[in-house]
Amino acid sequence: MKWPLFIACFLGMALTAEATAQDSDKAVVEKGRYLAAASDCAACHSVHGKPEYSGGVSFFLPMGKIYSTNITPDPDHGIGRYTEAQFEQALRQGIRRDGSTLYPAMPFPSYARLTDNDIHALFVYFRDGVEAVPVSAPKNEIPWPLSMRWPLTFWRWAFAPTPHKAITSTAGEFTDPLLERGAYLVEGPAHCGACHSPRAITMQEKALTAHDGSLYLAGGAPVDGWTPPSLRQENRTGLGRWSEEDIVSFLKTGRSNTGSVFGSMTSAILHGTQKLTDNDLHAIAHYLKSLPSADRTQTPWTYDTTITDQLHKADLSSRGARIYVDRCAACHRTDGKGYPAVFPALAGNPVMMQSDAMSLVHIVQKGASLPAMTAAPSSITMPAFSHKLTDQQIADVVTFIRHAWGNNASSVSAEDVRQFSRTMPPPDMADDAVSLN
Amino acid sequence: MEPTLNRPLRRSFVKGLLGTTSFWMASGNASWTAALAAEAAHPYQPTFFDAMEYRFVEAASERLFPADDNGPGAKALGVAEFIDRQMQTPYARGENWYMSGPFQQGPANLGYQLPFVPRDLYRNGIAGVEHYTRQHYGKGFADLSPVQQDEILTALEGGSVQLGEVPGRVFFEQLRTNTLEGAFADPLYGGNRGLGGWIMLGFPGARADFMDWVNQEGAPYPLAPVSISGESA
Amino acid sequence: MGRTHVDAVIVGAGWAGSIMAKELTEAGLSVIMLERGPERTTPVEGAYPESIDELRGAVRKRLFQNLSQSTVTIRNTMDQTALPYRQLAAFLPGEGVGGAGLHWSGVHFRVAPEDLRLRSSVIERYGEKFIPDGMNLQDYGVTYEELEPFFDKAEKVFGTSGEAYKVQGKIVGNGNIFSPDRSDNFPLPAMKDTFSASIFRDAAKNAGYHPYALPAANASRQYTNPYGCQMGPCNFCGYCSGYDCYLYSKASPNVNILPALRQNPGFTLVPNAHVLRIDLDSAKTKATGVTYLDTKSRKEMSLSADLVILGAFQFNNVHLMLVSGIGKPYDPVSNTGTVGRNFVYQTITSSRVWLPSSTYTNQFVGAGGSGVAIDDFNSMNFDHGPLGFVGGSPVWVNQAGVKPIAAAIGAGGGGTPRWGSAYKNALINTYKHSLGIDAHGSNMAYRDVYLDLDPTWKDVYGQPLLRMTFTWKDNDIRMNQYVVSRIEPIARAMGATKMNLVHLNAGQPFDTRNYQTTHLGGGAIMGDNPQTSALNRYLQSWDVSNVFVIGSNAFPQGMGYNPTGVVAALAYWAAHHIRTTYLKSPGPLVKA
Repeated sequence: MKWPLFIACFLGMALTAEATAQDSDKAVVEKGRYLAAASDCAACHSVHGKPEYSGGVSFFLPMGKIYSTNITPDPDHGIGRYTEAQFEQALRQGIRRDGSTLYPAMPFPSYARLTDNDIHALFVYFRDGVEAVPVSAPKNEIPWPLSMRWPLTFWRWAFAPTPHKAITSTAGEFTDPLLERGAYLVEGPAHCGACHSPRAITMQEKALTAHDGSLYLAGGAPVDGWTPPSLRQENRTGLGRWSEEDIVSFLKTGRSNTGSVFGSMTSAILHGTQKLTDNDLHAIAHYLKSLPSADRTQTPWTYDTTITDQLHKADLSSRGARIYVDRCAACHRTDGKGYPAVFPALAGNPVMMQSDAMSLVHIVQKGASLPAMTAAPSSITMPAFSHKLTDQQIADVVTFIRHAWGNNASSVSAEDVRQFSRTMPPPDMADDAVSLN
Repeated sequence: MEPTLNRPLRRSFVKGLLGTTSFWMASGNASWTAALAAEAAHPYQPTFFDAMEYRFVEAASERLFPADDNGPGAKALGVAEFIDRQMQTPYARGENWYMSGPFQQGPANLGYQLPFVPRDLYRNGIAGVEHYTRQHYGKGFADLSPVQQDEILTALEGGSVQLGEVPGRVFFEQLRTNTLEGAFADPLYGGNRGLGGWIMLGFPGARADFMDWVNQEGAPYPLAPVSISGESA
Repeated sequence: MGRTHVDAVIVGAGWAGSIMAKELTEAGLSVIMLERGPERTTPVEGAYPESIDELRGAVRKRLFQNLSQSTVTIRNTMDQTALPYRQLAAFLPGEGVGGAGLHWSGVHFRVAPEDLRLRSSVIERYGEKFIPDGMNLQDYGVTYEELEPFFDKAEKVFGTSGEAYKVQGKIVGNGNIFSPDRSDNFPLPAMKDTFSASIFRDAAKNAGYHPYALPAANASRQYTNPYGCQMGPCNFCGYCSGYDCYLYSKASPNVNILPALRQNPGFTLVPNAHVLRIDLDSAKTKATGVTYLDTKSRKEMSLSADLVILGAFQFNNVHLMLVSGIGKPYDPVSNTGTVGRNFVYQTITSSRVWLPSSTYTNQFVGAGGSGVAIDDFNSMNFDHGPLGFVGGSPVWVNQAGVKPIAAAIGAGGGGTPRWGSAYKNALINTYKHSLGIDAHGSNMAYRDVYLDLDPTWKDVYGQPLLRMTFTWKDNDIRMNQYVVSRIEPIARAMGATKMNLVHLNAGQPFDTRNYQTTHLGGGAIMGDNPQTSALNRYLQSWDVSNVFVIGSNAFPQGMGYNPTGVVAALAYWAAHHIRTTYLKSPGPLVKA
């Protein structure tokens, strides 16, 4: 029902780098604030209810649990002792002040593309614009020997691009300044690929830029129980049928005529993209629309009225139809078209047609809430059904949705639902992490 | 272990948790369906009414809402169970009524002025009816013939019987109201078993979506009812 | 020292309070809004499908005032002892964030312009002698033309669905021909007609009347209002009146205003805060703030404020004025004082029409504000001369979603069985094959119908209860009987096999035991004369100029229309004059 783009962040600039080169400190702080907020540094470094950027957000990785660090300017617990050069090394190369390597949960392979000007603004902001908080993040819970950081250095040498390479390899790729701006934002600071690009067995993203080929943003592996879909132009499972305006509206308000946000992406919009300028959002949308389909075999989705006609005639013989009519149709309608920007359409929604039904099952189980956004203050909530429906019933209704209205995606079994229950996402907006209205 | 399955579920009715996650989790069941199945597996044990009172409620409510050609009556719908469960709620303790004195009687159109909450009305009312029937018929209410039971109920409704401090008519209205609630409330509350009340009326229950059926031009709505927990008929 | 100071404190988080809070924060003021009941949000109160529960909702009344804390006493005449209203029945005030605006049905009218100047209008047409002795017929002191921009604004905020008749002097649609000119159309098209409404429309039209779609604050489509707040489209689930809307389709402060307001750092909403009194200076001409009880901690708190807005329910506003000493209490004997004067209600009766058993009315399908009405017998739209009464009623089929418990409890009576098999037959037949037609009428004000403080009973906070002295008067009973008699030919044309036309009877007293309507009004009315009104035309207290009292308490008469639209427009009207005039130079906006 909804449409995640990526976990993390967008970085944007209100003005071009040159124009701000000699700004007053205050203007640089504000530019850094825009970059940091838009970059959604907060999604990983801020915990709801605790001081901003004081760290402590947990990440479950295959080798254990790690916590994000305090990045406030506190000299002992934060990054107050970092020089600008050290700050730059951490952001672009993943090298800490003590010379060890950051876990690549920090998207330094993408940040490698950041311009010197943007690095400077961020540095000034985190020095002068953020309050120092003297608390330490919890210790990581990774057992030895996996807790040793030195192998990460080899990972970094092998897979992370150097800033020089990152910047020069993409230079002059686009003649259209809007595309160029969009590419910079998406591939660089926003690190959309961190979630939406597939990763190799050694965990590096298989493509870091559009330049690297059609795997870039072609859909990622599950993160926190959600499967990031492709952001390329596949007709059924990508953004092929989303207009630029849909993408802009989605990133600005969490909702659009084609879908609403859910899962990890909710936080990325709440803390990040909603704060971007319309120009930057258009640049991102324009760029995403330029990425050709990675799957040439997809037949275009067309609306099929068979199920709609059956339901209108009270024919509930299709598998899952009764549950759909009893529990879902009140908002999403018997025709599956929902009500744009309020209750998302299920007919033709790419998330319904992903080969992996994990996101869809988890939405049914957990429910979802659109938090209040600045430009869209209504928090609209779908209730959780995990205790209202059995695994079999969830399998049936999800299968119904995946088959109906021309979606024609594969069936889901009760066993699949049971498996997905094990990867139930952590608490998010729907669990009182933000206030609803 | 097993008997405890029932108790938390019932207690959660009391706390008004119905519809919250806590309600379903308190019963230790994974889903609503499982909670209901666990509940149905055990015959209901009243917690407010004693055996005699419960028999009275079962018998009297069945006369008020009898099984007939239209469909099930109060007994088959679980009305007595519904009323007993309701006796554990704030409603039955009069917690939303203004119950401060002085209690002064006045014209009927100025409303209820007795110092009794529903629990008192049942306790005193049933005792009063039982006393009355033993006096006039030599047996308890539940052991009388339907015709005799109807005579008594008619007398109560007509206002010619006083049940101790409780006017017969007040008790009758309390019983009638709760009986009809039990016949037509969501089955979660113990009555309207099998959605029998709703089926009789053609009420679709908790689906709450008529977008495609706003104007049927006089034809009936085509779908059978569904309950809050997903029970359907 | 110690008292928190804010620019404005608002009592009550319903429509009136939320509109005022939005307007005042827009003007840059810091605002605290105090609400006696709990916080209420759609994902919790309106959770689907748990909220689709008649027992917990309309029957056990989860959104309504808890009378154990505070209620009113009621009597019919001044020589009786008023007795406490112990159980909710005749009227149902709301409690909690959203107030009555959360549990209302959604009928969203403007006003018949002549109702705003009913006294002048009656005198112009029929002479002063037409007004019966003891009837306190009064004008509002504000005209439709003055209020029009604020009606328009409220409709856009509420996402109101309707069909206009005249916009900027041009006939634009099939709307109510008696309705006044509008500056703009409704923001959303009219709701669809249910089956019962559609046959009423045809029959009324054939009878020569002028049917129109009720204006409904139930969204006929998805909608985003000027505050950016979103509504889903109404699917006629029928859970409006007595419920919050799980579908975000029925306008409420919670859905249409508070989401935007909550983002404003100048705004604070404090639930569970029961206001005990408005604090006044020693001369009783200026409010200094309010004192309230935190009902969770049971601590008494006090706030200092430059401006105090009373936006509680109609009679609670009057009660607060009386216990705080704002203005002079009304005395019916000497006919002096203003607070408590012109307490009014509405004269509503519901009739029932049965169709053949082959025809299903599906009465559970509905929306609180949907339906078809005629205004041919409302306001001054017909000749009262030969009839000899003041006032009127719209007549409508407003199928709001009939639910089974309410249908069952209400069935039978009037000579037919109320239990047993025959009752069951009748109940099922009535539920499946009948429909209701309402006469939703005006109620005039009278010298001996009023509000004051009860001498005996107290609320849980130790304050005297408000006392209502109210009964039906001959003028309104005859009005109701006349309008109901007009229903019969329409019902016949609808194909009625049977009908039960219900009207008030001569001498019938007000009965507190049966639900009639929650549309109470008056008691602190607006007007142009401080001797006969508690508030001036800007809803500002004549006596304490930094207190504004917003709500249906300002209505000098009960009108045939549902009151919420007028309450909202009056709130925007008052706010506009506070923003443009009062804040620049605080003091009386009208010289007494």
